[in-house]
Amino acid sequence: MIKQSVIENVLEMALSTGGDFSEIFIEDKYVNSLTLLSNKIEKSISGRDFGIGIRIFSGLQSIYTYTNDFSEEGLLLAAKKAALAIKGGENGTIHPLSKRIFPTVNPIAQLPLSVEHARKVAVMRQANDIARNYDSRINQVAVRCLDEVQNVIVANSEGTFAEDKRVHSRLAIQSTASEGNEVQTGFYGPGAHAGFEFIENLDLNHYAGESARIAINMLHADECPSGKFPVIIDNEFGGVIFHEACGHGLEATAVAKNNSVFAGKIGEKVASEIVTYIDDGTLPNEWGSLNMDDEGEKTQKNILIENGILKGYLIDKFNARRMHAQPTGSSRRESYRFSPTSRMTNTFIAPGTSTPEEIIADTEYGLYAKYMGGGQVNPSTGDYNFAVAEAYIVKNGKIERPVRGATLIGNGAKTLQLVDRVGNNLAHGAGMCGSQSGSIPVNVGQPMIRVSEITVGGTKGE
Amino acid sequence: MIQKEFNEQLLQAALNAGFQEAEIYYQSAESFECTVFEGEIDSYETSEDGGLGFRGLYNGKMGYSYTEKIDVDSIPFLIDSAIANASILDETDGTDIFGGSPKYENHDFYFEKLDKVEIPEKIALLCSIEEKIRAYDPRIITLDYCGLSETKSERSIRNSKGLSLSEKKNGLILYFSTVVRDGEETKSGFYIKRTNDFYALDADNIAKEAAEEALAYLYEQSIPTGKYPILLRHNTAASLLSTFSPIFSAENTQKDQSLLKGKVGEKIAADQLNIIDDPFHSFSLNGANFDGEGVATKRHAIITNGTLNTLLHNRKTAKIDGCETTGNAAKSSYKGTISVAPQNMYIAPGQRTKEEVISSINEGLLVTKLSGLHSGTNTISGDFSVAASGFYIKDGQISSPVKQITIAGNFYNLMKNIKETCSDLEFSSSFGSPSILVNELYVTVD
Repeated sequence: MIKQSVIENVLEMALSTGGDFSEIFIEDKYVNSLTLLSNKIEKSISGRDFGIGIRIFSGLQSIYTYTNDFSEEGLLLAAKKAALAIKGGENGTIHPLSKRIFPTVNPIAQLPLSVEHARKVAVMRQANDIARNYDSRINQVAVRCLDEVQNVIVANSEGTFAEDKRVHSRLAIQSTASEGNEVQTGFYGPGAHAGFEFIENLDLNHYAGESARIAINMLHADECPSGKFPVIIDNEFGGVIFHEACGHGLEATAVAKNNSVFAGKIGEKVASEIVTYIDDGTLPNEWGSLNMDDEGEKTQKNILIENGILKGYLIDKFNARRMHAQPTGSSRRESYRFSPTSRMTNTFIAPGTSTPEEIIADTEYGLYAKYMGGGQVNPSTGDYNFAVAEAYIVKNGKIERPVRGATLIGNGAKTLQLVDRVGNNLAHGAGMCGSQSGSIPVNVGQPMIRVSEITVGGTKGE
Repeated sequence: MIQKEFNEQLLQAALNAGFQEAEIYYQSAESFECTVFEGEIDSYETSEDGGLGFRGLYNGKMGYSYTEKIDVDSIPFLIDSAIANASILDETDGTDIFGGSPKYENHDFYFEKLDKVEIPEKIALLCSIEEKIRAYDPRIITLDYCGLSETKSERSIRNSKGLSLSEKKNGLILYFSTVVRDGEETKSGFYIKRTNDFYALDADNIAKEAAEEALAYLYEQSIPTGKYPILLRHNTAASLLSTFSPIFSAENTQKDQSLLKGKVGEKIAADQLNIIDDPFHSFSLNGANFDGEGVATKRHAIITNGTLNTLLHNRKTAKIDGCETTGNAAKSSYKGTISVAPQNMYIAPGQRTKEEVISSINEGLLVTKLSGLHSGTNTISGDFSVAASGFYIKDGQISSPVKQITIAGNFYNLMKNIKETCSDLEFSSSFGSPSILVNELYVTVD
């Protein structure tokens, strides 16, 4: 994309005022987004994102600049202007660039750019038909097919020169059910770090069928009662609870400045002893997987909590300085428009021993959250909240009636201690995570778990 | 700025490739962002970027493409992709490229004085505010963020029907997240200040607001779960309006995604509610003289004394409903297709101050933060169940902060249950509201 000699000159210019580390990130990304709505292919857009980010460290100061100008003069000027933010000192040292090659953990069979739109459209129509045929009360279905091919180069003054090609494919299905004045929606959005083969091989009967089933089931569900009671959270996307309640608090972004409830607690018991929490960027073709992170470091399996004991954090190069620790291959960014920082990849609770049937049979009264919506956390306090997309009341060990409008609120550090069952049915679900360095694909995952008490915010009295 | 010749070359190549009409939407921005930590620059970011969106009518269908790499090599990519995208559409888009409005307002959204402020001056202000916040109270332990962000942007439309429009704007945002602790209790407060007049910023006042916003949440008390009258502070009312604003889009009523279908002319809200979309409002940093299709923007009263006057339209939705476009064609950037969205939507202020309204409440809640709006809301049904923070009001006075709560309700009902709008109109990004008092919402306490 850009000549190596130009890259070297830019890295050198960036250190001309005393910086001690410089890095260049070059991105060339092709994107397609197709939308089906009201039984018609309604929108289709293709584009090319292209830009360059330059980062400089001087001790605990981080400077970032980005531009679309790919001329050597433009890049040198950008690097020079950024370097001026540093007060001055000896020129930093540049190590000669040497190419780092990482094993491919995400083999791609069919690059989206080589696939004609018509083949994508065929899958979208099929998903639309399955959802609409599920029930006559499904009156609207939106299907989006997204794919992107992101080519990146990362080079830095430590001598790293690394290239990667990331391919993401996702099919998002939203069904709307309505009857009288009641309107409910159901959503399913499987995604992978893979090519069109992922879209083509999806079990559409399952995904489109589930999106319709959720909407129909919630249509005449009772209002959710409020109160504090045991909550059973099903596997796969249910893992969003720990993503919010715990994952964000383990990112160096929050830990480095002591702004996380988990800061300074390595070796301490922070969760119930049946909880083991892992972030693994190397799972083949998973939505949050990467061959290398956005600092050109190999992704790895990071054990964050083991049997309730805090073992580690997710750390990027910059925060590693403040924390006096090693980076963990966790530095990510949405695009060249963002300076990278520590983020999650595929994060999940390791499987336990209970079967889902046992967990439900063992619950006298509680809420069963089958599908979760999104959520949010304040990392400095650990207070989180998230929405439940499909929920049921469990009574005397049996799943009873569906309820809607449930919001779970609580404190991450407390909830972790209250996990009293971990199932054996681990699965992963795709989501987009928004934070400091933009919106990135991440997997959340878990087996079915039970928390002995969570505050359920509902729309009806206790 | 993009070269004029490149535009001409691209439009000509499009017409040669078989497009009946073609248009270029170009956007560029320069920005500066900086955060400080304990008096030192913590992060420092500058950027210059832009991109070009292309769309054209091909066999009566509108094809879209964009690129951020602007060179002659991109022309075949833009044209071939737009043809491929047009070809799979099921029907004609129902619209065409627009030749221009008879008249455009010429409001100026660019403040040259702001552009002239040097970076060291901005950093000095930020450091001084940080110091004042840290010194404000011993319970302030740190700041999560102490930052400043400034953007100058420019956009232009140029098409084969001879339309050529452009405008630029700039603005500055200061943001702080203050962390406070007393004993075991840790709280944080987020404060944001938007301006286009750097020299009117008052460091003492900003530090006070940013510090108080966090300190106020200390010493929380629990209250019983139940129904309470709710005073939504201006920022939370504006974020609810922002979340549910898609219900006012004709694109959504036409696709059965909004319950306001067929409701124009009907009373849908309390008499006290007036909602306006004003592209020129001086409180907002998001003005525009033309919309995403190049139509002249206008001020519209959406709801007047509870009655829905109009939905928001672009040219396509207006054609379907048999009315005029309201100039609300939205193009989120050069990457987007055309949709419908408000420009600066706000709830009109009332007479009494927030404090006067509080003094008239026997028992209720002042809600000052909402979170989880992206997940706990159903923009089609209007239902919401979201996490909130705020204060318990007893006998006309703020009594204490409350533990984390959720509030649940329905936006359509909320519009009907507004009792009073206060006088304190403020904008959070492109949505504004005063604090508003609503009858009762269901509150669950953690």
